[in-house]
This record gives sequence, C-alpha cells and structure tokens, in this order.
Amino acid sequence: MRLTRVGAFAVIALVAFSACSSTPQGGGGNTIKIGTELPMSGAETANGEPTANGVKLAIKQSNAKKEITGYTLDINVQDDAVNGAHDPQQGATNMHTLVADTSVAGVVGPFNSSVAQSEIPISNAGGLLQCSPANTNTGLTYPPDALQYRPNNPTKINYIRLAAPDSIQGPAGADYVFNDLKAKTVYILDDTETFGVGVGDSFAAQFKKDGGTITKRDSAPKSTTDYTPLFTAAAAAKPDAVYLAGTTPTGMGLALKQARTVAGFETIPFMGPDGVADLGPGGTTGATITVAGAAAHDVHGTVAGIHDLPSGSTFVADYTAEFGKAPGAYSAIAYACAQVIIAGIKSAVAAGKTDPAALREAVRANSVAAGNKFDTVIGPVSFDKNGDITTPYMSFYKTDLTANGGKGGWVYVKQQAFTDPNAS
Amino acid sequence: MTWWTRLRQFAGEHRSIAVLGGWVLVGALLPVLVLVPPFSTFQEQSLWLGGFANAGVFILLALGLNIVVGLAGLLDLGYAAFFAIGSYAYAFGASSFTGQHIPFWPMLIIGALAAATFGILLGAPTLRLRGDYLAIVTLGFGEIVPAIFLNADSLTRGTNGIGGVAQPELLGLKFDFSNPVPFYVTMVAILAIVMLFIYRLQASRLGRAWMAIREDELAAASSGINTVTTKLLAFALGASTAGLAGVFNASKLGIVTPDQFGFAVSFTVLAMVVLGGMGNVWGVAVGAFVLYEIQSVLLKQLNQFFHGLHVPVLENIDFVQYQFLLYGLALVGMMLLRPEGLFPSRRRQQELHAASEEIADVPPPTSAVAGE
Amino acid sequence: MRTDRTRALRTVAIVAGLLVVSFVILGVQQFQNFLTLGAIYALVALGYTMVYGIIELINFAHGDVFMVGAFVSMWIMTVPLGLADRPINDPIQLTVVLLAVVIGTMVVMGLIGVIIERFAYRPLRHAPRLAPLITAIGVSFILQNIIQAIFSSSPIAVPQIFPRVKLDLLGGSIGVLNIFMVLVALLLMVALQLFVGRTRLGRAMRATAQDREAAELMGVDINQTIAITFFIAAALAGSAGVIQGLYFGSIQFNLGFFAGLFAFTAAVLGGIGNTTGAAVGGFIIAFIAVLAAQLGYSRWSEVAIFTVLILVLVFRPSGLLGQALGERA
Repeated sequence: MRLTRVGAFAVIALVAFSACSSTPQGGGGNTIKIGTELPMSGAETANGEPTANGVKLAIKQSNAKKEITGYTLDINVQDDAVNGAHDPQQGATNMHTLVADTSVAGVVGPFNSSVAQSEIPISNAGGLLQCSPANTNTGLTYPPDALQYRPNNPTKINYIRLAAPDSIQGPAGADYVFNDLKAKTVYILDDTETFGVGVGDSFAAQFKKDGGTITKRDSAPKSTTDYTPLFTAAAAAKPDAVYLAGTTPTGMGLALKQARTVAGFETIPFMGPDGVADLGPGGTTGATITVAGAAAHDVHGTVAGIHDLPSGSTFVADYTAEFGKAPGAYSAIAYACAQVIIAGIKSAVAAGKTDPAALREAVRANSVAAGNKFDTVIGPVSFDKNGDITTPYMSFYKTDLTANGGKGGWVYVKQQAFTDPNAS
Repeated sequence: MTWWTRLRQFAGEHRSIAVLGGWVLVGALLPVLVLVPPFSTFQEQSLWLGGFANAGVFILLALGLNIVVGLAGLLDLGYAAFFAIGSYAYAFGASSFTGQHIPFWPMLIIGALAAATFGILLGAPTLRLRGDYLAIVTLGFGEIVPAIFLNADSLTRGTNGIGGVAQPELLGLKFDFSNPVPFYVTMVAILAIVMLFIYRLQASRLGRAWMAIREDELAAASSGINTVTTKLLAFALGASTAGLAGVFNASKLGIVTPDQFGFAVSFTVLAMVVLGGMGNVWGVAVGAFVLYEIQSVLLKQLNQFFHGLHVPVLENIDFVQYQFLLYGLALVGMMLLRPEGLFPSRRRQQELHAASEEIADVPPPTSAVAGE
Repeated sequence: MRTDRTRALRTVAIVAGLLVVSFVILGVQQFQNFLTLGAIYALVALGYTMVYGIIELINFAHGDVFMVGAFVSMWIMTVPLGLADRPINDPIQLTVVLLAVVIGTMVVMGLIGVIIERFAYRPLRHAPRLAPLITAIGVSFILQNIIQAIFSSSPIAVPQIFPRVKLDLLGGSIGVLNIFMVLVALLLMVALQLFVGRTRLGRAMRATAQDREAAELMGVDINQTIAITFFIAAALAGSAGVIQGLYFGSIQFNLGFFAGLFAFTAAVLGGIGNTTGAAVGGFIIAFIAVLAAQLGYSRWSEVAIFTVLILVLVFRPSGLLGQALGERA
C-alpha cells in the first residue's frame, strides 16, 4: 500500500539524518559550552544576530588565550523566533534544550522580556545561570514580582542582566526630552507589549515629575497598519515631541514613517527606547532607519547600556574584523555577559568543580556573589542582590541621515550613569 | 484473516478496552522508542518527553476540533479562543496574581466548563448560519477573545500575561519544571479518557445525529433531529476539550500571555485535523502528533542535515521559518488530492469521493464501522 | 421597479448620511484618512462580494491578494521603473508613471487571481463546501510566506513618488494625494458597475450568479465567466494595494490578514453579493476604525469591527442593502 511505502521511505530518511546530523547533547569531555537564547530569524534578525556574534567573539578570544586550562569553550545557539517574531513558548522549549545539554554552563539571553518570563522558571529549576544583555522589564528581577519566576529554588538567583531596567530607561528618556530637547509637551504611543507599556509608563511618570505634560497616550498593537488616524487626532494638542514606547519590529518604525506625513508631526523630534534606537544603519533589513526612510530624521533614542568602552578597547575593531560589519547595539554587552560566565567557569574549573551540576552552580554563585566585580569589555560590572547591574548606564543617540554615505545612521550623543535603586 | 484485520475487528467490538489499551501501550513505548537511534541522536529523552507532553496539548486540541469539524461538519476557524479561555481560567484560579490556589485536577473540569459555556454562548446565535459564514464568525471570535484578554489589562495584566501559574500536585508529588515525566503521564491519561469519551459519543445517538447533519442537514432535520441542539452540543464539547488543553498548557508553561492564542494556533490545529483525516479519531490524533513532531524536531534536523551536506540552494533555506508555507501547501494539496486525510474514516472517504465520482452504491453502515 | 427605486434611494441616503456625519464628527484632517481607508476597504470588499456572488465561496485568500498587489506595485516602481523615494513633480511624468503602476499591478494581480482560481478552486467546485474553504486558507498562508521569502518579514518602504501637496480648503489642509486616490477608487467602482450592468460579459456574470445551471443552458461559458470574475476581483484588490503603498509608504507581508477580514466585514455589512453594498460597507467600516482612533480606543477597533460582523450575520444576514433572503443564510 502507498502508505507503507511512504513509511519505509521515512524510516530510511531518518536513519540517514541521524548519520549526518550532529549530536546536540553533551559534548566531548573537554568542551564547555555557553548557550545563547535569542531571536535569530525573520524581523528580529537585526536584534539577535549581532548579539549572538558578541558571544561568539568572546568565546573565540577566550579560547585563543587558553583561559580555561584543559577545556575549550564552544557555543550552543538557540533561536526563539517563530514566524519571524520572538515566541515565549519556543523560548521555553529552547531553555529545556539548554538545560538538558550538560555541557552548557551558562546562557546569554533572552532578548525579550516576555520570553524571559517563560524561561526563568526552567533555568531556575535546572540551576543554570542566565545573563540577559537586553531584558529591561523590572518584574524580572525586582521583588516581589520576580519571586514568581523561581518556584523551584526561590532563594537561588539565577538570572542576571546587564541592561538598565525600564525603571531607569523611561525616566532617562523623559529627562532627556525635557532638558536636552526642551520639549514641554509629549505624545506617547506604545505598542501594547510588555516592554513598550512598561517603558512608556516610567517615561510618563518621570516626565510629569520634571514638570512636563503628556498631551495624549495611545496604544496600537503590532498588527496596526495605519497609524495616521492616531496622529491626526493627537495633532490637535500640538505636542512638542513624541515618545515611541515600543520597538520597530512591533510597529514603531512604521508609526514614525506615517506620523511624519501628518501636519504637526513633520519636524518635531521623536524619542524612543532601545527597541527604536537599534543603531542599525540605513539599509539593514528591519532597522528603524530602513523602515522609516526619509522620516527618520530628528529621532533620538536611548540604549540601556554604556557606550564608551574603556580606553584601549579593541572590541569594535576585533568585531568588525571577525564578522565584516560594525557591532550591533548589544554586541558588546553580550560579550560582557559571556565574560561573566567565563569568569565563573574559570574559577569552577580551578576549584575542580567540573561535573555539570557543580559547574553550573559555581558559575551561578560566582556571578551573584555580593561584591564580586567582573572586568569586562564594557568596564567593571557587578550585580546587586536581585541580579541587576549596580552601575546602570544609559547612552543617548540620534539619527543622522547623511551618515554612512547617505544611507543614514545613528550618532552618539552622550552617556549617563545612574544609581541602582536596589543597591544594598 | 491477517492479525491486523483480526485486531481491528476486536477493537471495533471492544472499543473501550482498545482505546485504553492503545494509550497504555503508546504511553509506555514512546519513552523507550526515543532511546533508540536515530531518535536518540536528535535530542535526549527528557526533551522528547517534554515535547510529547506539548504535542499532547495539540493532540487534545485536534481531537476537540475534530468533533466540531470532522464529526459535525462545522468549520471553526477561531478554535484557539477556547484554548485561551481554558488557560486564563486556570491562571485566574491558581496563580500568584489572584492569590487563589484551586488545585489542578478540579480546575481541569472548571476550565473545560468555562470554555464550554463560551462555546454555547458563541454557538447559540450563530450556528444556524451557513458553513462559510459560520467560519468567518468563528474567526472573528477567535480574534476578539485574545484581544479582550490583551486590552483588559486591569483584569488580565494585558500583554505581560499572568505569570507564576501553579503546577499540578498529586498525592504530595509536586510537578515542576525540571521533570517532564509527571506531565507526560498526566497527558497520556487525559488523552486516553478524552478519546474514550469521544468514541462513546460517536457511537451514541448524538454521534449518529452529527453524522446525519454532516451529510445532509435538511434531511436530518426532516427526520426529527433537532439540528440546533445537536450542533450546539458539538460546539460545546469541542470547546471543552480545548479548555482542558488550555488548563494543562498553562500549568506546564507557568505563564499565560495573550499572544499564545493567535490565528496561527487555530490554523495549525485545523491543518492537523484536515491532514489526519477529518472524522477519524485515531487518525486525527496520529496526524496531530506527527505534525507537531515534524514542526518541533524534524524541521530543525532538516536544517542541520542540509547545512551539513552543503547542498547549494537547500543549505540557505530555514525550514523552521517556512513551516507555515509547508502547511499551506499541504492543505491545498490534500484538498485537491486526498481530502479525506492521511488516515481517513471509510465513511468520509466514501462521502468525499462519491461526491465527485458519483458512485451509486455505498455499503450500508454497520455499528462496528460507524464513524471509524 | 418600486423596490429598485426604494433601494436606490436607501443607498443614496446611507451614503450621504455617512459622509455628512463623518465629516462633522471627524473634522477635515481625520476625514481624509477616513476616505482613503474607505477607498481601500471598498475596493477589496468588491472582490469578496463578486466572488461570493458567483460561486458562493468566501475567498479567504483575497486579503492576501491585496497584500501581494501592494508588493507588486512596489516592485514595479523600484525595479522596471527604477524610481527613487522622491516625489515626481512633473505632472505629465507623474501621470504616466501612475498609469503604468496602476495598470501594471492590476493586470498582474488579475492574472494571479485567475491562476489561483484555476488550480486551487476550480477542481473543488463540486466538492463539499468545507474543501475550497480550507484550500483558500492554505492559499492565504502560501501567499504570505512566498512574499516573506522574497522580500523579508520586516516592513518594506514604498517610493513616495506622489508630491505631498496640500490645498487649504474647508478649514483645513487637504492632501492632493487623498483626492487622487478617492477619485481613482470611485472611477474603478463606476467602471465596474458599468461593466457588470451594460456589457455582455457583465450580464453573463450576473446570470451565473443568479442561476448557474440556467446560465449554462443559455450558452454562457461558466469557466470563462468565473475566471473573468476572479480577474476583476483580484485586479481591484491590486489597485487597493497600489493606494496602500502610495499613501502609507510601507508594506508588510501580514497586511492582508486584518485588511481582508475588515473588507469582508464590509462586504457582509453591505450585503454579500451586492457590489454597491460592498462599496458602502467599506466606508462604514473605515469610519468605525478611524472614529475609534480619534476617540482614543484604537486598541478596541478590531474587537468593534468583529462584533459588527457577528451582529450583522446574526440579526441581518442580508446586510444593509441586500434583500431579505428566503432561506436562512
């Protein structure tokens, strides 16, 4: 019968696959892996790929220095993008995969806060450290919210991040808009997503504290194709500036483009958080400047990380040499995450803790131990009792459409150090 | 008579034993099967088992949609809405957000009932609509429900979703994120019971009424069947199965967010039902399982395989990204070539091919093969 | 005759009332957004209603045909015509370019529509209702993924070749682009009415929609008539795609899903099978969407429109301009 023939073919194919595909679990005896859990495909490639590259560079350079005696470092890359967008369920599956891979000692990722919500319980149960270069939602680390993500081991913090949380990014943007851009009234548009709503809320609170007024606030989900009615309605109050609380993959780039065609929004400055300030030069697929085209003038943005790498840093040159293009907004920060994990691996191996469970616990404990300082590519970092960075920085950028030979790019304006609200 | 035919005859006559026995067999064999190459090279056992539990969610959804689409012949394009209702019901009943801690097992029933209630609410005014209109209305409903969960943030935490959803507990054993086995066993048990129930339904008067409506609604109404109640029951039962799946999925993932319930889910489940063989209960279950495993394991392996071989064009294709293209092609292909599905019920095959070939004689149904 | 007259009057009353109400409530600026969106929905809704009228199939893939039309128009502008993202100020050059883009897109999309009908729907013309519906869903996903594969999942910029000239009228500034697009849409709709009402092919379409067997007996080539219907429906969706690209400046592979559903709601609202109804319905749906944005409830606009759909189908399935059907829909 036809079906049995199909079945026979399927079996042969499976055997062939097994012969040719690599074994994902466990490694050779002398390999220790760092996992990455990032959105790598579709509209999110511009976010995930440069970030993963940062980790790859860290591993390569560490191996070259033979930092871990007797072991080589390798990477286990996971992609949480389904149908082009980050997916928490896929993230959960990937985290299970990474936990099951006994050679993985730590994970860099995820990129999106909503994915982290589904992953932290799994990595917590598996005793695996997660270092996110980009998550900003405060509920992931601030108690009491963060406790719900650690049902298995509530006292073991296994999630750390190097990005400044929304509680800092929103207000930083608000102060910049009020003081630097001298705008007293602002219209806020958010994308209804976790990150957008959170950063929009903290922006609004700080802006009002500064003495400014929010003329109107709208929410438009990422399925929106037509933002013009929203801006037409908002134009009546004549705002001085617009805050796009969201990311370009969820529509902010499109909103920017359409907004500039509405009277009253043609010339005023726009401000956005790091989902808008992706630092992607014009021409990169999915980058804000590419999506918005000529409308991407007078756009400012914050990146939840430091800009000035310590003097003498060769990171940018090394990255460009290795990958053929300039680093992305989070490449250096991901490199730093990898460095934190490598430091943990190094001390664990030196102490003889090489079996998977002990290694993971040593890496985790080392990262969150109070007072431990890590020398990374973005400068010295340490973590507070919740896993947040003790020295959050915000960097400010603005668009320059004449940069990159006319294709447009982001130029650095300044950076600012903030205090960690939860520092003990 | 071959052993296979004899087995099928036995299964036909002793349906309950066959279903329960079948699931016990499958439940026990699968964990062993994945320890054997080539499966052992794809991923390790605990990942397989976790994946099977997730596949089980889709099998449940497919079984439920099969009642609506396959048995009663109503096209429901917004099935994910009931999945959402079950999930959120559990999130409201057992999470740190509401502070409630209703145990998982009664929540299964409560979630199923909640979904069934909405099934009746949706069905009552709309089931008298014609097939295509009903499809679009259900599609609208499938979009409205997640949108409401998203926008009513004071009640549902909107886009953040409700995290900290409790895991099941049985006789002191707490299910947690590190061990997939309890989830796997629970899912097998749920599937066995649900499938048993569906077969019983199929063989009952209700099941025959569904078949009659599917084949010719006017004739069925003329012979005294209350078409509205019958269709409403199909809708409600289908919805309650999705509610069950929702409760289980919420407890396994630990978080419920509105974007888990988009049209892609409804479409995937529909593809599973169509490809598996609308109307054939085991066929749909197998179809759903195969499709899920293809999506979660095989496509990734295909990527690695072609990467390793450095085949020029195929090397650059990311199969995982284009799985919906494959689904679309498969749906179109199936409808054109084999609309009865891969594992058709004999009745269905006759219905569909008789329509286009005008075959006059259809063997009379006996109770053993009814809805097989 | 009297029912025809009452229906015509009813149509005019609804249209006039809608225009006045929306102008007053929305104000000049928002009114233009409403007109443009209405034009797009009306053109797409026409396609739904024509196909449904003739073969009683909800062409689920029609929204994606609209989306593909937008991409085709973008491709025509950027590849063969090689246009940059700069307004063309010379009126003659602009007219020639626009004609080329619109006609080119409409022809290409028409052909695509015919191909889809020929290979995905025609073999299933006698199959149970479920089959072509499922196929249509499959076609919808295939179209979306092909576009994603060719162009990427991110929004793609469309060259903004129409100069953003504004006229100061009626208390606000009115974009010439808006006027142009509404005129194009009206022109196409009038052309369609003339075609369906006055030509032989149009008569064949109406006959097939009314009673296929009788039409066949009268010598109408059913296959050809259906193919022409699909050609026109897809061409109209293609023209809507051109408007979408020119006005909004950015297109994405998932454009068709909601636009298609909203346009279908419009077709149902106006009375499925009724071309005037589809056009009117398109503007009503656009009004709801724009009003929601104006009032600050844009998050709820999808819910509102789907609720309209359900209410119409449940309480008045024949729509605003349709005749009350004998058999329950």
